[in-house]
Amino acid sequence: MSDRHSTESIREELTHRDNLSLTARIAENPEPFVWWAVPMFVLLAVEFATWGGILVGMLDALVIGVTGLIDIVVGFVSPGLAQIVTDFQAGVVGMLRSVGGTLGELPTLFSREVIPNQGHQTPNGAWQGTFLGLQPAVAWALRFSLIMAYALFTAYWAFRGWLVYRDHYRESDWTPTDDIVNNLRGHRWGQFGIIVLVVFLTMATFGSALAPSTVSQNIQSPYSDESQIQYLTEEGTVETVFAGDANFDSKSKGAVDTNVGVMTYDDYGRFHPFGTLPNGRDLFTFMMGGARITMIVSGMAITGAAVVAMTLSMLSAYYSGSLDLGILTVADGVVSVPQLLLLIMMSAVFANTWLGAVLDGGFLLALIFAFTTWPFLWRAVRGPALQVAQEDWVRAAESYGQRPRNIMQKHMLPYVLGYLLVYASMSVGGIIISLSALSFLGNGLGISPPTPAWGRAISAGQSYVSSPSWHISLIPGLMIVLLVTGMNALGDGIRDAIDPEVETGDGEEAAAGGGA
Amino acid sequence: MSNAVEQSPPTEESEVLVEVEGLKKYYGGDGMFADPPVKAVDGVSFEIKRGETVGLVGESGCGKSTLGRTMLALENATEGSIRYDGTDITTLSGKDLKEWRKNAQMVFQDPESSLNDRMTVGEIIREPLDAHDWKTMNDRRERVLDLLSAVGLPDKHYFRYPHQFSGGQRQRIGIARALALEPDFLVLDEPVSALDVSVQAKIISLLEDLQEEFNLTYLLIAHDLSVVRYISDRVAVMYLGKIMEMGEAEELFADASNPYTQSLLSAIPEPDPTKTSRRITLSGTPPSPSDAPAGCNLSTRCPAKIKPESYADLDEDLWEGIEQFREVVRERARIALSTGDRVRRRFDRFDRFDDIEESRADTFDGIEVPERVDEEIQTAVKMVKRGRPTEAQEHLYEEFASVCDDEQPEMYEVSASGRYSYCHRHADEYEDVDPVLTRRADSD
Ligand code: SF4
Repeated sequence: MSDRHSTESIREELTHRDNLSLTARIAENPEPFVWWAVPMFVLLAVEFATWGGILVGMLDALVIGVTGLIDIVVGFVSPGLAQIVTDFQAGVVGMLRSVGGTLGELPTLFSREVIPNQGHQTPNGAWQGTFLGLQPAVAWALRFSLIMAYALFTAYWAFRGWLVYRDHYRESDWTPTDDIVNNLRGHRWGQFGIIVLVVFLTMATFGSALAPSTVSQNIQSPYSDESQIQYLTEEGTVETVFAGDANFDSKSKGAVDTNVGVMTYDDYGRFHPFGTLPNGRDLFTFMMGGARITMIVSGMAITGAAVVAMTLSMLSAYYSGSLDLGILTVADGVVSVPQLLLLIMMSAVFANTWLGAVLDGGFLLALIFAFTTWPFLWRAVRGPALQVAQEDWVRAAESYGQRPRNIMQKHMLPYVLGYLLVYASMSVGGIIISLSALSFLGNGLGISPPTPAWGRAISAGQSYVSSPSWHISLIPGLMIVLLVTGMNALGDGIRDAIDPEVETGDGEEAAAGGGA
Repeated sequence: MSNAVEQSPPTEESEVLVEVEGLKKYYGGDGMFADPPVKAVDGVSFEIKRGETVGLVGESGCGKSTLGRTMLALENATEGSIRYDGTDITTLSGKDLKEWRKNAQMVFQDPESSLNDRMTVGEIIREPLDAHDWKTMNDRRERVLDLLSAVGLPDKHYFRYPHQFSGGQRQRIGIARALALEPDFLVLDEPVSALDVSVQAKIISLLEDLQEEFNLTYLLIAHDLSVVRYISDRVAVMYLGKIMEMGEAEELFADASNPYTQSLLSAIPEPDPTKTSRRITLSGTPPSPSDAPAGCNLSTRCPAKIKPESYADLDEDLWEGIEQFREVVRERARIALSTGDRVRRRFDRFDRFDDIEESRADTFDGIEVPERVDEEIQTAVKMVKRGRPTEAQEHLYEEFASVCDDEQPEMYEVSASGRYSYCHRHADEYEDVDPVLTRRADSD
């Protein structure tokens, strides 16, 4: 692949084409791209409604959040303008929601409609309503495994896309990124982190299809007509009952006869992979809902903190001096505010406002966590940023009059980004734990009920830890540990990958002759 | 490539491109409680003619790199002016400054640090063009390829990363980038000192070729005198923020006037064995740039220092001994005392500097010290022993200071070719440098 360009053609390519665009290069040699793109298209198409839903959901939250903030700011100046903003918000959100609704009605391949796991036994022992008449446990396990496999494979295929680009369409034979990726490919611990991240993202994205029960049966409207289920009674007849009533009889309350444990059926023929909660609801379904809100809030918080830390570290490293000192002072100030106090105060202040309602209080939490986390990230990357600001290439860029903004973006940021990723993935664990701790404390803190939050499950199971219902606290606890460990592993992996100490030296071999 | 370069009309010999006057660059020192400023460049004036190469030499820390950067407006001058083609660039800012930057570029010392590893060679060389919105994208790419071939690199390197190149190749890339905007003036900051010896010669000859091809003017900053001698038309010698001597390269190397230049040159082995070379060493270490002497910069170390009038008849060895001893005391004065030492000093229990006695004995070993000198020395020794080296320093200054300690010399023209030297000894009332140095060398 090293001689994609013959020497004579380079000049021609560079100067006689309007642009060396990627599309031009693909058109020249479409085969590898097609071999990658068609499967990728299929992969996305079979779950189009899910991906689309995620996108619309994120846009929705973004629009509400941003317009809301603008609304507040404008509100100080002119209530009339604020009203316009509010109207705009309502319009856009309404549109997004209707798109989301349409998307929701589209079929997906791995949905509970295609592979149902809820059904009832007939008096002769066969199962009705489940996929191919399989037992609910098997049907659920099948759907769960298929979705996980699909998600992991899609993630891999996306990475394949980069490989195809690298091998067939990239102009450089080698880039510094290659080393990082190669290092990561030999880093088992880091890969474990990546897999954990993908698995939890999958739970957040496909949560409702992964769960054995539905959110409506489990939480929202267990007594509505759609939430009726059928089951085989002990007398051998098939009866219909509200999910709420069935939940009432499936409580895990610590005693042997009031407990639905891990990987068991309740009296209504419903399978509970993680058992039930003290109120009889399915813990697995609850956990999936919790995964979604946890990933969204901690993701938003760490992204926000990282963006702030990155911007400020660039500014403080490039301009240094009093600007650096000013940021240092502000950061110290922020750090000195007790986080819990701030959370309690903010939750109380915004409890009944629209801001407290976005994402069931998650948006506000994400803002607060971003606010309290950026100083740590900033401090962690300030050192590397100051160091890169001393490099001669920064002086060189100044000497030919490059704009400070470009200098920071092109000559400093790429060197700091790796460190930022490392520290961000290490710090996100703290946010996840704090978030769960808030829900654990309850009392208006954390994610507002009934939206599932992991901490609330731990809190609910607290009194049953040493009873047959131990699963209620233990499983959410283990999930948190797994996610936090995974994120740390990811951070370790990236750190080792960008660490120049472990460079493979391939670059040296690629060095070509010519000149001195 | 060559067809793209127009032959520029022959320029006037004497046309001045850069004119530096009274330039000062101080760091820090502002604010009421700040330490004294670091005087990196402390009042230098010189000219660079169009098309010539001026070598700027000196030990590390003498301010030559700061001078280079200030001349490119990468540092704000504290005082003085830099006229480039008639424009005072110290007054430029914003758009005008950016526009001016096209004229003058820099080649850096460390090829590892001067190229951004995350960009391809093509992007690196093209960036100055991008920053100035130079013509069209296609033109820029073509220009980059022209530059690559001008510095002797093949086209295929366009898409490679700096990481894939050797130090010499990286330096070529740095040079190509510096040339991108067609500058007239290049500051070469130790352009070869980080390279292998075998590669140095190639880069030097490349720089010479490029100078001819593009009619460039160079300011070559270096501490390697052989490189400077080889490529420079004129040379400026810098010490502690001041230019000590400046003139035609060959003449300066063959017949230096300033004591500092002489000591610098005496350190290089004489290629011609028939010439007897005398080794002139400077005593002690250079003072910090924030603590430069009030008189001549070299006065704390000068081998040709003028004696004070009242001691004009002192024996050379004794005079040298006194100067050495003053340096010893100065070094003591530079040592920061711990709190414990200060308390001990307060109660006359201080003994950390008791070895000053030994130093004195060593310094004046085998030299006859007349009583009036010995008295002063002994007073100073006592002061140092009590933990007051600064007082001792002042005492010695008062007793033994000469015009070199008190007054800054002028720039004296020392040759018909327009060579200047910064030393009192060129004034009529003092004996010139050479006989003094010869006498001292003989007496050793
Ligand atoms: S002025 Fe005095 S100290 Fe300075 S170089 Fe001349 S003789 Fe030496």
